Amino acid sequence: MDFLNGLVALANFVLIPAIAYGSQLALGALGVTLIYGILRFSNFAHGDTMAVGTMFAVLTTWGLQAMGVSLGPFPTALLAIPFGILGATALVLLTDRYVYKFYRAQKAKPVILVIVSMGVMFIYNGLTRIIIGPDDYRFADGERFVISARTFRDMTGLEEGLALRTTQVITVVTAVVVVAALFWFLNKTRTGKSMRAFSDNEDLALLSGINPERVVLVTWLIVASLATVAGVLYGLDKSFKAFTYFQLLLPIFAAAIVGGLGNPLGAIAGGFVIAFSEVGITYAWKKVLTYFMPPALEPDGLVQILSTEYKFAVSFVILVIVLLFRPTGLFRGKSL
Amino acid sequence: MRTVLLFAAVAGLILGTGFLQSWNSALLILNMGLISAVMALGVNLQWGLAGLFNVGVMGFVALGGLAVVLISMPPVGTAWQAGGGSILLGLVLGAATIVAAVLVWSRTSGKLRGWGTAAVLLIGLVVYRMVLDPAVESVEAVDPALTGYLGGLGLPVLLAWPVGGLLAAGAAYVIGKTALGLRSDYLAIATLGIAEIVIAILKNEDWLARGVKNVIGLPRPVPYEVDLQNDPAFVERAAGFRMDATTASTIYVKIEYGLLFAAVLILLLVLAQLALNSPWGRMMRAIRDNETAARAMGKDVTARHLQVFILGSAICGVAGAMMTTLDGQLTPGSYQPLRYTFLIWVMVIVGGSGNNLGAVLGGFLIWFLWVQVEPMGQLLMSVITAGMADGSWLKAHLMDSVQHMRLLTMGVILLLVLRLNPRGLLPER
Amino acid sequence: MSDNPYQDDRGNKDRSITNPHGQGTLTATGTQDHPMPGHDGPFLIGENMTGGYGKSGPDILHDCTIAVERGEIAVIVGPNGAGKSTAMKAVFGMLDLREGRVMLDGQDITQLTPQARVRHGMGFVPQTSNIFTSMTVEENLEMGAFIREDDFRTTMEQVYELFPILREKRHQAAGELSGGQRQQVAVGRALMTQPKVLMLDEPTAGVSPIVMDELFDRIIEVARTGISILMVEQNARQALEIADKGYVLVQGANGYSGTGKDLLADPDVRRSFLGG
Repeated sequence: MDFLNGLVALANFVLIPAIAYGSQLALGALGVTLIYGILRFSNFAHGDTMAVGTMFAVLTTWGLQAMGVSLGPFPTALLAIPFGILGATALVLLTDRYVYKFYRAQKAKPVILVIVSMGVMFIYNGLTRIIIGPDDYRFADGERFVISARTFRDMTGLEEGLALRTTQVITVVTAVVVVAALFWFLNKTRTGKSMRAFSDNEDLALLSGINPERVVLVTWLIVASLATVAGVLYGLDKSFKAFTYFQLLLPIFAAAIVGGLGNPLGAIAGGFVIAFSEVGITYAWKKVLTYFMPPALEPDGLVQILSTEYKFAVSFVILVIVLLFRPTGLFRGKSL
Repeated sequence: MRTVLLFAAVAGLILGTGFLQSWNSALLILNMGLISAVMALGVNLQWGLAGLFNVGVMGFVALGGLAVVLISMPPVGTAWQAGGGSILLGLVLGAATIVAAVLVWSRTSGKLRGWGTAAVLLIGLVVYRMVLDPAVESVEAVDPALTGYLGGLGLPVLLAWPVGGLLAAGAAYVIGKTALGLRSDYLAIATLGIAEIVIAILKNEDWLARGVKNVIGLPRPVPYEVDLQNDPAFVERAAGFRMDATTASTIYVKIEYGLLFAAVLILLLVLAQLALNSPWGRMMRAIRDNETAARAMGKDVTARHLQVFILGSAICGVAGAMMTTLDGQLTPGSYQPLRYTFLIWVMVIVGGSGNNLGAVLGGFLIWFLWVQVEPMGQLLMSVITAGMADGSWLKAHLMDSVQHMRLLTMGVILLLVLRLNPRGLLPER
Repeated sequence: MSDNPYQDDRGNKDRSITNPHGQGTLTATGTQDHPMPGHDGPFLIGENMTGGYGKSGPDILHDCTIAVERGEIAVIVGPNGAGKSTAMKAVFGMLDLREGRVMLDGQDITQLTPQARVRHGMGFVPQTSNIFTSMTVEENLEMGAFIREDDFRTTMEQVYELFPILREKRHQAAGELSGGQRQQVAVGRALMTQPKVLMLDEPTAGVSPIVMDELFDRIIEVARTGISILMVEQNARQALEIADKGYVLVQGANGYSGTGKDLLADPDVRRSFLGG
């Protein structure tokens, strides 16, 4: 019984939150890795692109709620995601047309584009704060739990409860669907293959008649969609705040680099590696450990390796360790 | 010529603030401009001279701020008695663990290597936490409303400036050693991460600098306004300038700060210019412009990069110490990457990467705009919303959004300069 | 340092923010998508070409003429630095021509972008980076056929018949293949557009002599299907043996030209370029 209780506690406090968070990071890291693979720079504005997409989705959600539209047990925000994607795509494409395109024509070095993306980051950040404001917004509605801790205890008779929030289930399901669709697109469709070809060898792609501008356009479309989905899922799970999204940049970059920049599989693996280490290292293990250990060995303290405030430190340390031993990341990066 | 004109223009902007708004705000802009210029100088050294991409300026600035607390605040005797020794011991143990782990890793091989290193780390961590945790708890329990930390050394605050530089240099050494030594550079992500970690430590390690409870009332290198106002001689002299004592005292204090900062800036600027034109500077530029050739000539590129990275970060640390001294308090919650990392980058790019004077100019100009965009935006918004009914939702929202205009403006300025004048206002040559 | 400030990266090599892998280096000079009417002459000819890289770069080619007839093999040979590859790039529109013109099938294509030349029936196999290393062999061929709207399976079948080893390895990443197999992938990719002319830049660079003979055999087979071949080669003797026409370039100008056999028999050519 203790063993089962321990497992349930582990699932409840570590596995489920880490899987949900990992999915969100993976979606974010996929966007970063696509830009790195195709446009060949790390996009500092990615966190804020997520914020912009989510902002449009939040505004739409409020509109829908005001009109009395609802999805029943599901959060209304799911209906708003397409609008969020639309908004983010529009902004990103405008940015590409009026900002990035010029530098492509100049054959600018990637590091110049990194600096450009800093400017874009400032603008997106300002826009988000001007339009929706800098505060914390919650926009999740519908049924809060698929299984609440109490129901689970009643059902199983265990001491520990297992709470499964609707948003967590939605996060994982959406992430799986989106990732599957992305991989199908990249590996099976002509456009997807042309993106991989462009990432692998730009000159040869050109000689094969692949239109670079089209590849870039499709990339931005996908990135804006991924960013919005990741942002909305994160916001549903936690809340929406412009500054938090900007700060997500570090774990997302870390995930993309740990996995191997430019490699989509790596981005996903990296997202989960970072999420599991963050949750695992900042979780107080006392509760779980008491179930597994004989009473004599029960720990006194909380068995929390680091306080939750240090979660950024964790992503960073994992990153350094991986880079020290595998400089190209878990999966060999560079091209899609 | 262009340099003189542009500097005159920026001086004009600041003087204009003095005439139109108040001399207090003008001096405030000038003082923070001086500090920003020092930061920009540091980043320019790294990016302009060596192409190193440091996006962790905030961390080094914050370390400078920490130095001010550690140097200038009086030590808290009771806290030291409560657990000062144990904390030091704990830190030494922590460092020893890392050293031991590295030793085990480098001296053993095979299966023993991984497991041995892991075991050393695990045991070290447990011991470290066992020593540190109770000590931290008792230190933080000492009069938490006022102290709850170990305090500093009680030394003159000006000493904190070079120490801030040293602290930043130490951090830069560790980062550079790891991130520049890898097969290819990973400096950007490393600095981005370390900056967040520094802030996290400042926020959470209350025994060190009171965390988010802030350390206030830091000693000052200049007289206090109140003392000046109570000094009859000062009041008399102020009256000679036809000023009331309160305004005169605030201005006097700011001017003294300004002189101190200007001295540091000029010193660093002269040093930077000398370095730029020295054989060392020529070598750095040679490495930057053709690394392969420089390597072939036997230059140790990684070591040179590490050197310049440490120097630049140290300058940022000095600037951070200066800023905390000016503020008179250390508030870890106020460090944000947009303000302390990316804004400095805007200064360097706008001023002119690779040109020290350009970085200084960018520091002043961008700081001026950062401060003045808000009133300008206010003005703009009140014009836009003039036709709207008072109390309308949109008007309130628009007036609220003014405070966020500065971020947008900085982005637009950066993009415009990059597009139209990619070498910056004062190009390298 | 480059004159273009946007191309000045200050020596930054930070891989956490920049990705130089596969970055484009191609400098296209043409601007047009459609050819102009030309006049009769050889099937493909670069006529009196004079030019160099960039608008202000020094001239590398001096009044150089290269031509190939339908279904024939033309080979450009010459000492190192003679401008062999440059001459080929000029024909493909990657060089600023100050004088001369390029004609394909009676049409003047001097002003065409390289991509437009591909659409008009030129296939080009660069000397290096000529395959998509991270993609499978089959995907490489598919990408070669990217501009084709029709069914390209027959063409792919023909390529597999020409290079049977590729069929075997079609689901393997092209980057994992041996040097000779990579060259086969590269040629196969270029053939997928069903070009009228195939241009090969040192196809045998870095492969063993046996593989080289094998590659030359395949190239002859390709020519027999009616595709003209224009080829730059280091291995002058072997190349001239299969060539219908040979050009010996000397310092960017035509040194000797004639049929492959003539050149092999020419004592001057033998002494200077073929090692006696």
